[in-house]
Order: sequence, then C-alpha cells, then structure tokens
Amino acid sequence: MSKEIKGYRQQPGKLPFAKPGSGGREPFSKLRDLDMIPESEGGKRPQPKGKNRHDHLLTGSSVGRRTPLVDSNWKVTGQAKYGDDIRIPNELIGRILRSPHHYAKIRSIDTSEAEAIPGVLAIETGQQHTDLFGVLPVTKDEHAMAVDKVRHVGDLVACVAAEDEATALEALRKIKVDYEILKPIHNMKKSLDDVDEPIHDRGKYHIGQSNVQKRVFQEFGNFDGMKKAHASSKEKWKFAGVNHGFTEPHAVVANWEPSGRLTLYTPQQVPHYVHRSLADVLKIPMHQINVHRTFVGGGFGGKSDPFPHEMCAAILARKTGRPVRITFDRDEVFYTNRGRHPSHIEMNIHVDDNARICGIETDALIDGGAFASFGHVTTYYNGVLHTAPYEIGSFHYTGARVWTNKPASGAMRGHGAVNSRCAVELGIDDICTQLEVDPISFRLANLLPPHSSTITGFRITSIGMRECLERVREACDWEQKFRKLPLGHGIGIGCGFFISGSGLPIHWDPNKFPHATVHLKIDMDGGVTIHTGAADIGQGSDTVVAQSVSEVLGLPIEMIRVKSRDSDTSPVDLGSYSSRVTFMNANAAISAAIEIREELLKATAEICNVDKETLVIGDRRIYQKKDPAVGISYLEALHKAQEDRGALVSSGSYRTPPMGGVHKGAAAGLAPAYSFSAYAAEVKVDPETGITKVIKVWAAHDCGRALNPLSVEGQIIGSCHMGLGQVLTEEMKYGRNGSLLNPNLLDYKIPTVHEMPEVVPIIVESNDPEGPFGAKEAGEGPLLPILPAVCNAVYDAIGIRTNELPITPDKLYKQIERKMKVLDIKSPLDLPNPTLNHSELQKALDERANEHKIRDSERKLNTEREPYYNGTLFGKISTIPPEEQDENWTLSVTPSEEYLANPRLAGSAWKHQEVRHMNKGDDA
Amino acid sequence: MKTPPFKLFQPKTIEEAISISSNFIENNEQFDWIAGGTDLLPNYKWHLNTKPNVISLALIEDLFHLDSTHIGAMVRLHDLANFADAHPIIKKAAASIASVLIRQSGTVGGNIALDTRCFWYNQAEEWRRSIEWCHKCDCDTSADCRVIANQNELCVATYQADLAPSLMVLNAQIHLCGPDGSRDMPLSEFFELDGIKRNVLKKGEIITHLTISDDANSWEGDYQKLSLRESWDFPEAGVAAAWRYSSQSPSEGLELRIATTALESIPRLHNNITNEALINKSTIDEIAAKLRLDVKPVNNTTFPPNYRKKMVEVLCKKALDGMKGELT
Repeated sequence: MSKEIKGYRQQPGKLPFAKPGSGGREPFSKLRDLDMIPESEGGKRPQPKGKNRHDHLLTGSSVGRRTPLVDSNWKVTGQAKYGDDIRIPNELIGRILRSPHHYAKIRSIDTSEAEAIPGVLAIETGQQHTDLFGVLPVTKDEHAMAVDKVRHVGDLVACVAAEDEATALEALRKIKVDYEILKPIHNMKKSLDDVDEPIHDRGKYHIGQSNVQKRVFQEFGNFDGMKKAHASSKEKWKFAGVNHGFTEPHAVVANWEPSGRLTLYTPQQVPHYVHRSLADVLKIPMHQINVHRTFVGGGFGGKSDPFPHEMCAAILARKTGRPVRITFDRDEVFYTNRGRHPSHIEMNIHVDDNARICGIETDALIDGGAFASFGHVTTYYNGVLHTAPYEIGSFHYTGARVWTNKPASGAMRGHGAVNSRCAVELGIDDICTQLEVDPISFRLANLLPPHSSTITGFRITSIGMRECLERVREACDWEQKFRKLPLGHGIGIGCGFFISGSGLPIHWDPNKFPHATVHLKIDMDGGVTIHTGAADIGQGSDTVVAQSVSEVLGLPIEMIRVKSRDSDTSPVDLGSYSSRVTFMNANAAISAAIEIREELLKATAEICNVDKETLVIGDRRIYQKKDPAVGISYLEALHKAQEDRGALVSSGSYRTPPMGGVHKGAAAGLAPAYSFSAYAAEVKVDPETGITKVIKVWAAHDCGRALNPLSVEGQIIGSCHMGLGQVLTEEMKYGRNGSLLNPNLLDYKIPTVHEMPEVVPIIVESNDPEGPFGAKEAGEGPLLPILPAVCNAVYDAIGIRTNELPITPDKLYKQIERKMKVLDIKSPLDLPNPTLNHSELQKALDERANEHKIRDSERKLNTEREPYYNGTLFGKISTIPPEEQDENWTLSVTPSEEYLANPRLAGSAWKHQEVRHMNKGDDA
Repeated sequence: MKTPPFKLFQPKTIEEAISISSNFIENNEQFDWIAGGTDLLPNYKWHLNTKPNVISLALIEDLFHLDSTHIGAMVRLHDLANFADAHPIIKKAAASIASVLIRQSGTVGGNIALDTRCFWYNQAEEWRRSIEWCHKCDCDTSADCRVIANQNELCVATYQADLAPSLMVLNAQIHLCGPDGSRDMPLSEFFELDGIKRNVLKKGEIITHLTISDDANSWEGDYQKLSLRESWDFPEAGVAAAWRYSSQSPSEGLELRIATTALESIPRLHNNITNEALINKSTIDEIAAKLRLDVKPVNNTTFPPNYRKKMVEVLCKKALDGMKGELT
C-alpha cells in the first residue's frame, strides 16, 4: 500500500470512489459462460473449424450473443436525430435549382429578380465554385453546382438560402437561366461512339471523343479448354437501374460556428471523403471543418459519395453567416441516385466433359449516368467478382462504363457484383439443365478450397461455400422439390461471393497508413469510451465495435459508449462501404482493447502477486484461471493501472496484409477476406398473368463468425428484401424522351410486406483466420444470391429463363407468349414443366464433391498447408502459380488486334485511343 | 416538397357546404373539395391544380351514413371493406384499395371522384417543367399531351380507382347535391370521357351518397384487380362482374354485367358485350376475348397497354370463374 499523507484533508484512496465490482446493470459479476469460451481455452465451445488467433481474448461477454444494437433505444423512442432533425437556432432553409434539361450549356444565370425577394439571403451559382471533387481521387468530375453545362435533368444549377422554404422555392422560380440545349444521350450503347460534345472532358486521358468513362480488359487462364467446350450457356442480359430506396432522404445542415470553423451535419456513410471534398471546394484546411455524422436513415451505398448539396449548404452558410439546412424531396433523391448501374451483360459459360467450368466470358456495358462516382471500381467489380467461388479454367472480361445524360449510378449494396453474379448463376443452372445434373452437386464439385488463390490472384482464406450449399439443400428439402414441383411452382438455387472490406484504401498507400483506427479511453468511472470514425448507418457498426471491446475487457455492453459522430474526435476512418467495418474496425478495436487488457492484467498481477500469464478476464473481474478466488474486480485493477497517470488511453489500428497480383487493376476486388452465400428460393408463378410470388427463402451466409447473430440475421433478411425488389419489381424507368418516369416511392416499386416471403436465415461460420474473432462481412454479400435463386426458381416453375431484370409480369408474360408460339400451345397452363433425369455425369460430380469435401476440411485445419492455385482442378500442380507451369497461360489486360477486329459490346470501347496516345501517334 | 397555402373551410351541413361553394362561384374564386385527402393532398404537394380555398366535408354527419343500400360519400374505405352488410364484391374492391393506412382515411366519394392519373401528370413541378409541362394540369402553358402527341382534344389520363366497377355492376345510383339542387343517376352515367373533366359534377356540386337496390344480394360476382404489388398500388386493370339467374331455370333469364376500370379515362360498364353474349349464349372465353378488344388503354401507367389489354381477358375469366361454365 502506498504511504498515506498524514493530515491531508481528503485522504485520497480512502474515499470510496466506486464500489469494486460495480459498473453495468447487474450488481454482481457473473461466472464466465464456458459455452462461449472455446475448448482450446478451457471452455466448452466446439471448434470444428479450428482455432482462431483471437480465441484467448474471449471472455464470454457479448461476442456471439444476440445483442440489440446499441443505438436502437434512440431510434425506437424517436430520439435519434437524423439529418433533417438537426435544428440550429436562426437557421435558414436552402433549396436547389435543378436543370430541367437533359444536356445543355449554361449561357447565363440571372438571379437579380430572385435576390430582390424579401427573405432571400443568398443565391449562389457554380461560377464561384469551380473546384472539382468526387469520391475517387482518380475521377473527380463533380462541382458544387454546374459550372458550364448541366448533364442530366435534376443536375444542380444554383442554390438559395431563405428565411423559409416557401420563400426559397419562390426564389427558385424567379432565377432565369439561359440554356443552349445540347443533344442528350440516354442509350448507353450510343455512348460508346464518338460524339461532338462528350459529357465530360478528361483531357489527355479522354477515351477518343466518346462517352466511355472507364474500360477494362482482362484475360486470365488457358483458353484452349474453352475452345473445345462440351457445353456452353450464352446469354445477353439487360438489367434495369435500381435505387437504394433508403427511408431518409438526403439532408444536410451547415453551420459556421463562433470559432470560425465549419460543422457539417450530414447522414453520411463516408464522412471522411466529405471532409476532404469540403476542404477542396471551400478552399480551407481540413482542420477548420468538423463533419458530424447524424443518425443515418439507411445508406446502402447511396450516401457514400461527397455530394454537391453538402457543398451548397456550406457555401450558403458561409455567405449568410447563418446555419443552412437543406432537405431533399424524394425526387431529388432519385436525381442524386448513385444506385445500381443499368447494364447490358453478355455472359458465356463453358464447361468441359468433366463438368468443370473451363471458361467464363463476360462483357459488361454499364450505364454510369452523368458522373463517375464509384464507377471506376464498379467497372472492375462487374468482372473480377465472379472469379470465385468456382475454380475456372479461363476468364475473359471486357467492361466499360459510359456516361449518359441520366442521374449518376454509383455504389449500391453488393457493389458491381450483383448483376454479373446473377448472370453467372443462371448460366450454371442452364448448363446443369443441359448436362442433366443437379445444380447443387455441380457447384459442390467445382468449388475452390480454403486458403487458395483465384484465377486473378485474389487470396481466399476461409470459405464456407460448401457448408452453405449443403445446409440450404437440407433445409429446403431440395431433393424432394427440385424439378419435381407442379407447373407454376418452383425452387431455385443461387450463390454469392463478396469482398469483406476493400483491400485498397482509396486515398492513400495501404503500406503506409492503416485502413482503420480506433481509440479507447477509460477514466475512473470504469466506462469505456470508444472513438471511431466508422459510420453507423443502421447496420450496427457502433454495436460491433462496442461488442469487440466489451468482449476483450470482460465488460457488459452498457459500460461501453461509442463516439463515432464527429471528425473532431474520431480517428480518420474510410467509412461504411465495401463491407469493411466489421472486419477492419473490429480488428482495430480489438488491438486497442488488447493494450488496455495488458494494463489491467499487469495491475492485477501486481495486486494479487501472481504471474500475469495465469490470469483470465471474466465479467468485471480478473482472476486466476485455476483459482477464481484469487482475483480482483475490474475497477480495482483499473484504478491501480490509473495510478500516476489518470485515464487509460490506447489506440489500435488495422492494415490489410500485402496481397494480390501486379497486373493493372489487380487491386480491384482484393480483400482481406471474402464472404460466401447460397440461397434457395421457392416461388409460385401464375402462367396466365406472369405474376411471380416468392413464398419462402432459405438463406445461408458464411460470415466467418456471427459476432451478433441478431444483426447477421437482420442483414440476411433485409438483403433478401432489397434483392427481391431488384429481381421482381424495382426499376428506374426512363420515358421515351429520357425522363425518369418514377422518381417517387409510389411508382418506384419497392416490395411491400405482402411481397416479402418467409426467410429462414442460416448462419455459417467458417472461422476466418484474420477476421475479428473469425468474423467476415454480412452486409452486402447476402444480397447477391437472392436474384439468381429467384430467377432459377422461375425456370423451375414454368421453364422460362429470364434474361432481363426486373422480371415484371408483363416481361415474363411476353416470354410465356413467345414460348407458347414456339411450342404451338394454346393455353399457358399447358406449358411443359421442366424435369430432370440424372445423366451419368451426376455420379462423377457427387464423387468429386465428396473428395473435395475431405480436401477442404483437411486444408482448413492444417496450419502447415501448401499453397493452392486456381487451375489445380484442371490438372495443374496445385502449389505453383499456373502462369509458371503453363506455356499457354494468358495474363493480359489489353486487348489484342485480333480481339479488336470483332469486339463484343463493351469491348468495343477499346476501339478508341486515349487522347494522350493519339498525340503520340501524331508525333511519330 | 411543400403544400402551397390554402384556406380551409369546414362546414357542418350539406347546405352550409353548398352555400360556401356558391359563394366562391359568385365571386369567381377557385376552390376544391376535400374528403379523406389521400388523393388531393399528394397532388397539392406536387403543385397539381392547386386552389387557394379548400372545403372539407369531414364534419358533415349526413355524409357518413352506411347501411346495406346506402353508402355515404364520407364513409371510410376501411369501414366499407369491413361492413358486414356490404355486398361481397364491394367489400373485396374496397379492401383492395391502396393500403390499410390510406383506407382508414380515404373515402368512398373520394375514390369515386378520384383524379385521373398519368406518368406525365403525377410528377413534381420541376419534373413537369422538364417535359415542358402537361396538358392536364398546366393548361395555361398550352402544353401538348405527352402520351399521345399532337392532340390537345382529350386528356387520356387513366382513371385508376377500384370501387366504381363493382358499384356499377350492382347498378348503383349516385346522388349529387349542388347549388342547383339535388340529382341522381346510375353510376355508369356519372363519368365523362375526358381525363380533365372526368365526370358530370358541376362546379360546387358534391357526391352525397350512393344507393344500391334492395335486390343486390341476389347478384353474385367478383372483382379482379391487376397490380404489381398487393398493397399501395393503384389498379393497372380491374374487372368487376355480377350475374344472377332470375327465373327457376338457370338457362333462362340469366343476367350479367361486367365493368372495367383503370384502362381508360373512365370506368365503363360493358353492356354491349354482355347483352350480345347473353343473346348468343357465348362462352366465358368468348366474352373475355371480346372484352379485351373493347378496352383501349394507353401508355401512362406502370404496365404497358398491350399487357393490360391481355390481362383484361384473364381477369375477366377469373371474375366469371364463379359462374357455371357457359352461359347456356
């Protein structure tokens, strides 16, 4: 005991500051729940997938338990403050004047009449704010407001700040804009051609005189097998654009505070990029800006760009010296869009006589609308994200993203992977029909094993695909239903594969700066304050970070408080996209918590005079593992650790390991882990009307480890709903003149509760070696399989294979009519019902699947495993990269002359030369 | 989105309401009626034909009366759908309208007099500016019709309400009251073929109630609705059918009525088809095929017109499913 200071009035240390063991709602600490502690650590939790590097940190507090989201009480009591709920005294209302033209040059803007209206305080146009910004540093192409031309109906032209909304709207009507109308392009195919006035000018990087924003060419593998394929599925797909349909429209409040600094309140997924863009546009240093993320009423990727209206609010607030609030109407949300790209995808899948996928050829033309947004990445994702989970012999991908005079497309849940995944999974179903084999067996016999490398060099670690398929097959009673249900009733399977965090932080070198940083602070009250920049957009990122810390420190979750709103107090974080938060932020939080844990153990060891290594952390108590009676409370240990220094602080960060190839575009699709999923959907289709109703979905998702099963299930069910919208009803409809016909939630058809089937979520835990406690993502991947599962079920029901989404009744009925004509049938009720008689291949597939199952389980548990490269299934040596052992192995990222002589649709984008190369040609 | 300001009047009796409306007419002031507001207010928010004065019918008790033969104009759709003595066809149609929430507010009169709808009309002000305005609501701009170009004669906006065809096949009578007194007529004569004019209501006139004859219960029938979603959506096509065998022998004295909605600017009773069918003793399939040819949808709703036409045939068959096969 330290020496007491005699006569000192307050007698420090003798006053009961806080009762040992207090903290949390329960007065007494509980014993460790051994069911939550892995066997290898002396608990009872089985480890069929082996040990995890975080096993020793498990205290049984909250990881793996169904935990209500930590911010849910704010939401259910109506106290959560979303963008439009921020009310600062003396606020002004901002409104935006939008272009009524698809494409036009702005000759002049006359604001004098509008400015004269009493109550109008400021009107700003693009002329004064010409700095470009954009979410990706390589494709900055947006202005706060149009500078020289407007690029789509709804593009921003001017903004007004007024005392109230009615006055602001009146001012908008009085602004006179003189436009010179240009010829718009709405058809993405036309955007491949050279035109007089491309929608953007990228200078020397411009691709010809065309509207091609980004093009990708990739060829990997040995194409000999594909040339003599045993069976092929070829399909040309058309996918409509869809919008996120989040509940909360965009809203922003900008306030220049008395300190002279700007605070921007915005429901953002990626506050850090807004932070950077504001600094660019306002021309002030970043430290003069605080970006405050409000509660976010749904994002799904649609709130992850820095937006022009955010710039407008800040500009208006600076000009007027008063807070400015801008809230969108729903049609403005649709004009801002950033939804899924409308796409034309050609998907050819080839298999050899052993039912191995010897080739996938994909050509994706995607409609980016008027701005780049995330499109650079989307163009890659449409190809590279279907190089797994199947082992493939060759992969050919051509992708192009073009500008059109429509609202910009961008990132949306399942970014870039959803459409082409749907096409792949339908292609496989088609091939299985041709080969007369069961599509689940086919998949099980073609999966990559754990700890393998894909054809483009992605590093696969954990993979729960096999278990997903097996568990879904059992749960849905597949054997009794597939190809056996009556006409109009069907079942289908679909799989998914998605990144768990993008391997490349867009703004910096991953080798230099971390992806995510988390700070912890614990003062004498014992509560832990977490500072993180991860943006909780309803997906539960605050909760997962709180759970991670609570788990490591053995504290109930109510002792953890997460401060993630203000950039002033949060470490820089890349935000909520690419399903990175659980993987990266929880990992960072764990490493920060480990530092505190060490301090607590050290203090305990000192007080109890035992070896630190013999201690374990339980619920608010640290004690000897062998003799729990020897130990002290968390608070005692904490106060000991705080002697001489006060509050404990720590910082943890996460960085991806080095990985991936070196070819151009190798970083696109790289992730420290990947999620896998398999869904079966049961549908009923009315052949007389073409109306499809999904009646039940069995949804298995491999999330590594469910840190919070409640929210994993929520994500799976929510993903089903969102994906069902895209597959059945949702579509951004453009009229014959290019106008968006349905910018409202009555005509934009999000499925209602009536359309929502029962979803049986099945959580598969593959125990990822690098994920936090073994976890991977569960936010986006679960969306992918629902689309192909439903489409394949529609085929099972009425024998019609769709190639256009959404499958609205009118489109499906057209196909039904076509088929009736071909088969010369009078009534749609006489359509032939697909059947399946297994061919001889089926047995071979089942045998291969069984062998692979043993192979996979061995690889999973063997820590001394050798490398496994894609190509092994085709007879290559598994431990040597295929390009080093096969002379005919292609690895190319630019098209050959031969290809360009007869390119596919998106591939034809390569016919243009970049401007910089044209000039070179001239010089020569 | 901001509803433009308007002055609200809340009369307590029909007489008071009519005197307010007469007053406006005399002073040449514009006004609208409001019942449940589920149609009018969204349109106001979009600045569609907004008026400075709005007269609410919500406090006029006489309009709320509901019994098996009398349906007041202010009866909530939800109450009608759950009214035990209402005819099953009417109940089914009422229960199919929009969503539970909207049915709690929306009224029978409001549904009958529902504004016609069109992709080029039900849009925000800025949107309509981008297509250089719509003929139906921005008349002073002399805008052309955007659905069928170069015709400003007739507005082809679609009447997308569910109740009318079911009431028509039950031969409902509609009762109106206005500055020139009261009048009534068969519901089938209430509508006028023009998306702007819509019906026979004169300025200042309101629907007070509908009456259904005592013998309605001797009619069987069905209402079939086509929509993309089961809730919220307006019908893309709707077919109501009612029939009865009035004499002892089923082959003699069959009566049949069929009405459609959501296919044209007005709901329509297809007496020409049913009368002919009864004379020729046509099959149900033949009637359905004829009905398909008798409707002329245009491209201004969610589904394309040719699909809606084809589905009328299917809906008609489904609506007549309860009948015993052929009409012989």
